Amino acid sequence: MFLHILKYELKNGVRTKDLIIWLMVFPIVLGTFFKIAFGSVYNKTEKFSAIPVAVVEETENPAFRQVLNGIESADEPFLKVTYADRAKAEELLDSGDIEGIISSADKLGLTVKQKGLSQTMLKSFVEQYTLREKIAMDAIQTSPEKAQEIISSLMSGTVSSCREIPLTQGNPDMYIQYFYNLIAMVAMFGCMTGMHVTMQNQANLSALGARNNCSPAPKLVTILACLTGSFILQTVCMLLCVTFLAFVLKVDFGDRLPLVYPAAILGGIMGVSFGFFVGSVSHMSQKTKTAVLMSASMLLCFLSGLMVGDLKGTIAQKAPWFNNINPAAVVSDSFYCLNIDEDYTRFITKLITMAVITVVFIMLGFIISRRKKYASV
Amino acid sequence: MQVFKTMFKVMRSRLPSAMIYIIIFLAISAFVTSQSTKDNKFEMNRLKVCVFDEDDTPESRALTEFIGKHNDIVEIDNNRDTITDSLYYKTVNYALIINKGYAERLAAGETAELFGSYHMDESYSVVYMSKMLDEYTGSVKAYLAMGKSLEEAVSATEAAMSQETEVEMLRVDKGGDSHFSVDFAQYFQFMPYILVSVIISIVSLVLVTMNKKDIRYRTNCSCLKNSKYTFQLFFGSFLFVLFIWLIFMVAGTVFNKEMYTGRAWLAVLNSFIFSMVVAALAVFIASFEPKDNILNLITQVLGLGMSFLCGVFVPMEILSDGVLSAARFLPAYWYVRANRMISEEDAFSSEGVMKCMLIECLFIVALVLMTILVRRLRYSSASIGSAVKKATA
Repeated sequence: MFLHILKYELKNGVRTKDLIIWLMVFPIVLGTFFKIAFGSVYNKTEKFSAIPVAVVEETENPAFRQVLNGIESADEPFLKVTYADRAKAEELLDSGDIEGIISSADKLGLTVKQKGLSQTMLKSFVEQYTLREKIAMDAIQTSPEKAQEIISSLMSGTVSSCREIPLTQGNPDMYIQYFYNLIAMVAMFGCMTGMHVTMQNQANLSALGARNNCSPAPKLVTILACLTGSFILQTVCMLLCVTFLAFVLKVDFGDRLPLVYPAAILGGIMGVSFGFFVGSVSHMSQKTKTAVLMSASMLLCFLSGLMVGDLKGTIAQKAPWFNNINPAAVVSDSFYCLNIDEDYTRFITKLITMAVITVVFIMLGFIISRRKKYASV
Repeated sequence: MQVFKTMFKVMRSRLPSAMIYIIIFLAISAFVTSQSTKDNKFEMNRLKVCVFDEDDTPESRALTEFIGKHNDIVEIDNNRDTITDSLYYKTVNYALIINKGYAERLAAGETAELFGSYHMDESYSVVYMSKMLDEYTGSVKAYLAMGKSLEEAVSATEAAMSQETEVEMLRVDKGGDSHFSVDFAQYFQFMPYILVSVIISIVSLVLVTMNKKDIRYRTNCSCLKNSKYTFQLFFGSFLFVLFIWLIFMVAGTVFNKEMYTGRAWLAVLNSFIFSMVVAALAVFIASFEPKDNILNLITQVLGLGMSFLCGVFVPMEILSDGVLSAARFLPAYWYVRANRMISEEDAFSSEGVMKCMLIECLFIVALVLMTILVRRLRYSSASIGSAVKKATA
């Protein structure tokens, strides 16, 4: 009986258009858009690369030119310098080819177009040059005998005062987490398949439910078979989604991709059980249930950062406990831990959380839907 | 005006879901615009820095205080996971450790490895902060070499490093009367997404409902003239779009805290034209009579797709050239282009803005023509005849 019901559940699922649209097509489309939009943001805005700048020499300033040459010939140059006249430089700045114009006369001046970190860095570069000039002047005034030595030690780029302690081998691109949340969204949309299970077993809501309720098969077997069917369908959706992201869009999940799959599948199963639970709680119409589930799962995804990327970081500061129970955040965090952490402690905690949430929802669903009888429909 | 009235009855049933969109959008805009500054003056970027002071001497505290002048000092737990998460989500840009023995070694003129920093990636913040620290310690060392005491050297360094360079902005309010700040332009920039979502999901849905087979057959055999029927449909859709657009414009004056003036009117005109483009698009989509769930998908794909491709969600300069040249075939691209010119993010020229608006108008014309074509093909007497034959067969 179990297998018979399972077979029909699967057939039924494959023929549901909603399922294919929202769990397969939509994530693929949205993932592609994310890739187009966020694919190069990190490299262009966060990761450091030499800041392009134009230098307008209003009067000859060989010392400054020498400093610039020194910077440009370094291993990792800080600036990319173009020499130009004022009009040409402004044109470059306007078209976004350079970030700022440094004009060198008696004093250095800076012209920028926007406020931002690279502009701030240019400002501090100009100030640094002025600072060194001042120190050199101070040195000549206070201790002329040592001045030469002080100036040369200032100019000879000292050893770095700061040792960097690496935190992770993973991919530090924070925009990747939009893809994590996309997978979490597909997992949460699993609640729709979960809800269909309950629809098919509530006689007052669907003809199929009425038919199922008068069949001699035990309810436990029927629901278990239906749930298994939903789990299988959801697993297929999750596999498709992760595979598409990882291999077609080439999203970098870190070096532990094989472990992303089980986490995604477990997340999907959790989504189904969430829908099963909400569906069992009440006898509202399908439309109402859909609305409740859709808005609930979108809200959870929103709080996990699907729309606004840094929301999760903010929540982690204000109310860290919420990220540990928000199902969408748990799913996306599991990928994050897999990418960033060096050990598996946090990853395994996330998996256990998912498993516990799943079991709780399923148990509650069963307890609520057992012994429900329909005298007449 | 029966058709007109019926349209609004159908719309009313769909209004709650549209209101959710609108309210969320307005709430987010209220938040964003409340943080905006009106003047286009240069300000230093303030980084969020957390400092773990293991040395805890007057010198190290002086350094922390100095960093705090230009940056925001954030306190977080000294725990590896917390630090990793904070750096990843950029709630902290730089995590600095002042090593034990900092003051002593600095006094001795050593500058190597005085600090440690938790390192996530080679970002601008990291480069900026490490340059700043090198500069600070280098200057202290120089002043020490001049024979100053450590305390004097530190205060001399701080005084020297506090010299500010005047930064000029390219085009400081060159328009004179342009009361359309870059920050307020954001409000207009996000509008395409919300207009597409709300207008397509409602107008198309209503049109599809009015066009259901049974209802259409009933309307066709009424004594209402076909042209009158179409006119009422268009008039109803137009009024609805106008209503939604007005909501956003009124909300805009509230957020801007003043009536639109000067160039801001161009932005208003631009958004009106774009609303009309979306309305035409909605009518076009409706003529294919999509099912409910397909319509939802189309709405999402068009709304998100146009927003991501045309620089609504992410600034245009970040998108690759390939994406941008594909985006030229979408109306939102021209809307965003015009909006950027009006807010002076790109060089302003009235011909440029006019050109963008004209292209948007061409999209309207093209969409209306295509709608007429599709409707001719689908509802021509021949195709209805064959549909009836099929139904009776």
